[in-house]
Amino acid sequence: MTLKPTTQPAQRRIRNFQEISLGFSKKQMIDESIRYMDCVEKSCDHGCPLGVDIPGFIRLVREGDNVGALAKIREANDLPAICGRICAAPCEGSFCAKTVDKNSISVRALERYASDHGRPRFTSKKIITPVGKKVAIIGSGPAGLSAAARLAQVGLKVTVFEIMPHLGGILRYGVPEFRLPKNVLDAEIEEIRLLGVDFKTNFSVGQSMKLEQFLGEGYAAVLLTVGKNSVSLLDLPGADLGGVYYAKEILLAANTRFEERFKKNPTPSIGSKVAVIGSGQAALDCSRICLRLGRDVTLIFPETLEDFPVYPDDRDDSREEGLKIEALSKPLSILADSSGRFAAGVQCVRMDFADANGSGKWEIKPVPASEYLVEAQTVIWAGGFKINIAPLAMGPHLKLNESGSIWVDPETAQTSLPHLYGAGDAVANFACVAEAMASGKKAAMSLRKALR
Amino acid sequence: MMFKITNKQILAKDVKRLDVKAPLIASRVEPGQFVMVITTEGGDWIPMPIAEADPMRGQITFIVQESSPATIQLGHLTIGEEIFSIIGPLGQAAAIAKAGVVVCLATGVGTASILPICKALKKAGNKVVGIIGAKSKGSLTLEPQMRIACSRLLIATEDGSYERRGLASEMLKDILAAEVVRLVYAAGSVDMMQTVCHLTRDRAIKTLVQLRPAMSCGMGFCGSCRVRVEGKVVLACVNGPLFDGHSVNFEHYKMRVATSQDDEILTSAHSESDATRSITKFFPGLLGK
Ligand SMILES: Cc1cc2nc3c(=O)[nH]c(=O)nc-3n(C[C@H](O)[C@H](O)[C@H](O)COP(=O)(O)OP(=O)(O)OC[C@H]3O[C@@H](n4cnc5c(N)ncnc54)[C@H](O)[C@@H]3O)c2cc1C
Ligand SMILES: Cc1cc2nc3c(=O)[nH]c(=O)nc-3n(C[C@H](O)[C@H](O)[C@H](O)COP(=O)(O)OP(=O)(O)OC[C@H]3O[C@@H](n4cnc5c(N)ncnc54)[C@H](O)[C@@H]3O)c2cc1C
Ligand code: SF4
Ligand code: SF4
Ligand code: FES
Repeated sequence: MTLKPTTQPAQRRIRNFQEISLGFSKKQMIDESIRYMDCVEKSCDHGCPLGVDIPGFIRLVREGDNVGALAKIREANDLPAICGRICAAPCEGSFCAKTVDKNSISVRALERYASDHGRPRFTSKKIITPVGKKVAIIGSGPAGLSAAARLAQVGLKVTVFEIMPHLGGILRYGVPEFRLPKNVLDAEIEEIRLLGVDFKTNFSVGQSMKLEQFLGEGYAAVLLTVGKNSVSLLDLPGADLGGVYYAKEILLAANTRFEERFKKNPTPSIGSKVAVIGSGQAALDCSRICLRLGRDVTLIFPETLEDFPVYPDDRDDSREEGLKIEALSKPLSILADSSGRFAAGVQCVRMDFADANGSGKWEIKPVPASEYLVEAQTVIWAGGFKINIAPLAMGPHLKLNESGSIWVDPETAQTSLPHLYGAGDAVANFACVAEAMASGKKAAMSLRKALR
Repeated sequence: MMFKITNKQILAKDVKRLDVKAPLIASRVEPGQFVMVITTEGGDWIPMPIAEADPMRGQITFIVQESSPATIQLGHLTIGEEIFSIIGPLGQAAAIAKAGVVVCLATGVGTASILPICKALKKAGNKVVGIIGAKSKGSLTLEPQMRIACSRLLIATEDGSYERRGLASEMLKDILAAEVVRLVYAAGSVDMMQTVCHLTRDRAIKTLVQLRPAMSCGMGFCGSCRVRVEGKVVLACVNGPLFDGHSVNFEHYKMRVATSQDDEILTSAHSESDATRSITKFFPGLLGK
């Protein structure tokens, strides 16, 4: 398995929201960097969407120069301590020869180690010659933050507008504290602030200000990084019963309410038995939040366990925490209690590979007569993140993709409206922080050229 | 960015008026819109309409009915204290146009939502008949402001302690008989709004109702405010909160107002006078458990 960090023991960590992984020892990291140096193919060199110089920074870790290693990572990655903790790490991806025997190099672990131990003693405000042009970035998630850093570094005057009271997007309001502590996020944002980036919170673009007003107020360009700001509605029978919540309602509550109050009586209130429907990081995070509320939690998804798209450690850690996983299982409907108003359970059907029409094409199909009930007073639908551009009031001429996300020119990241650019989850489905950041960086590079 | 309380008044039992410094919101908000209020960091998020906005002084006004821990905390703030965060303006503004005679009904905290709409309708040249339903004279709020905002104001108290005894919806019947009513707005309890829609549907009078489902974010992120209108499920915070009353599925809406058992107890206590009937009708299961 990829290198395992020391973690809070399962019994203790399911009673608090503190960070699970306590990081890696110096010895573990030096051994891992040596193991990497002996690796011949080096195919993981170009596995990082941000273009982090993986052999470069690992060599510096090996030489014990963490400050140098972090500086090397920062050349390509503006949120190293965050990626080092939660990046889906395509760099450790399936193409690695070592994953066959399950011990590919833990590039993410090395990145976290360098980020945690390589902070220069004192960070001074960078001296950058201003270029005088103003750029507005809408949304302070990883895509927006990364673009802001890249634009500020060349002297552009960047202002990031954020609707929420704090910055970070899903990094703050989606990913739970036990996977990404807020103080780690705040420290990385402070680094970007030092580049001269200005942040405005509680500012809802589309209501507080419209696109043409930005251009009217002297912004040379606007970059839309609003992420998936809406939900596609669950159309299972019983989907609107009381006690049926969507992931972001639970994630928002867990990430904004005081931990003690949230554990005593969470708003929205959560029953003793919880069923979470959906596959991916959001489904796992909602499940682990409910486990920490002492609830009995079952996670239901139609794929196989191996295809469950999350970082392997997260899946294994959550099973250690007592999560019941119903893989190859598809929800059919949500049943009501005797009052007919509140959820009582999820009717599911087992799924399995079947070569239905004998064509040799094995697909996942429902197993006949295999329906069963998962009892639950609370059902959390952890899918259906989508973008809704209506609240942004960008007018009717903004071209969209089939899926409703914002169309952008693949080369220049420009939308169909002049001076308006787009990046991150708002333009495509990046289930990975590094890919969302890379998308923001690409838009920034295109903007730098356009505004020279 | 904090939002300072500049003035405070106690309007009725558990009902406070708060004036808050919020220049950007004051200059942008339109009638029918609301904001999300987070009184202190770590506390609950409360959707709250803006009863009055003064762009000159950069000030907005809330009418807070203290009925949940969050609204009690907000209502107890004093002049000079600051609210941690106010997000908005949110939601779609009311479409204000000249229509002729317009009736605007409100019960409970709905008065705070209907006041700015009445003002805008009157300014647009409509004859605005306001009807407020309250349990008693003591729980009546914003009467003076509503008198100024409406061409004519009728008040119904359930215990008859002030002006007419009865329900706001009953007074609507008299107005519909006496005037050629073009448009009706209703904000407040589910029963009142449902009764109003029943009355106006037969007469094909366009009716806008303000839905107040449970709202956890107010920005379209979380899906908690889903309501069924014209057979389609939509988000009340982004597509509303005002909807065409005749297309609203009220049975579905009742499920969405209190999405958990404890909200249920609180909500029913605030619906219009026939609250006792609705308690037994709504959740025999709860009582039976
Ligand atoms: C629960 C969850 C867990 C995840 N975990 C992981 C993980 O472990 N590893 C991984 O690699 N990826 C993970 N992802 C995916 C990754 O987080 C996202 O792909 C990434 O956050 C997208 O970044 P973004 O900047 O495009 O959008 P976001 O992070 O969504 O940021 C968009 C920002 O725009 C703001 N905004 C929206 N509308 C407006 C407006 N009108 N005005 C002003 N501001 C506005 C929002 O408030 C938000 O702050 C996770 C996603 C979710 C939902
Ligand atoms: C568009 C809109 C306008 C509103 N206008 C006002 C207002 O002017 N003044 C005011 O004090 N309150 C207003 N509210 C409701 C406010 O969010 C508080 O829930 C409410 O004030 C509680 O007092 P109540 O007597 O109205 O309780 P009810 O509205 O009868 O509800 C009782 C309980 O149900 C829950 N609940 C009901 N509505 C909501 C909601 N929308 N979001 C979350 N939980 C809810 C709460 O726990 C609340 O305590 C509004 C809500 C919306 C969505
Ligand atoms: S760790 Fe895997 S991808 Fe990287 S060099 Fe070694 S075998 Fe190749
Ligand atoms: S940012 Fe992600 S993909 Fe890039 S090196 Fe770090 S963990 Fe790997
Ligand atoms: S309140 Fe969250 S989507 Fe409407």
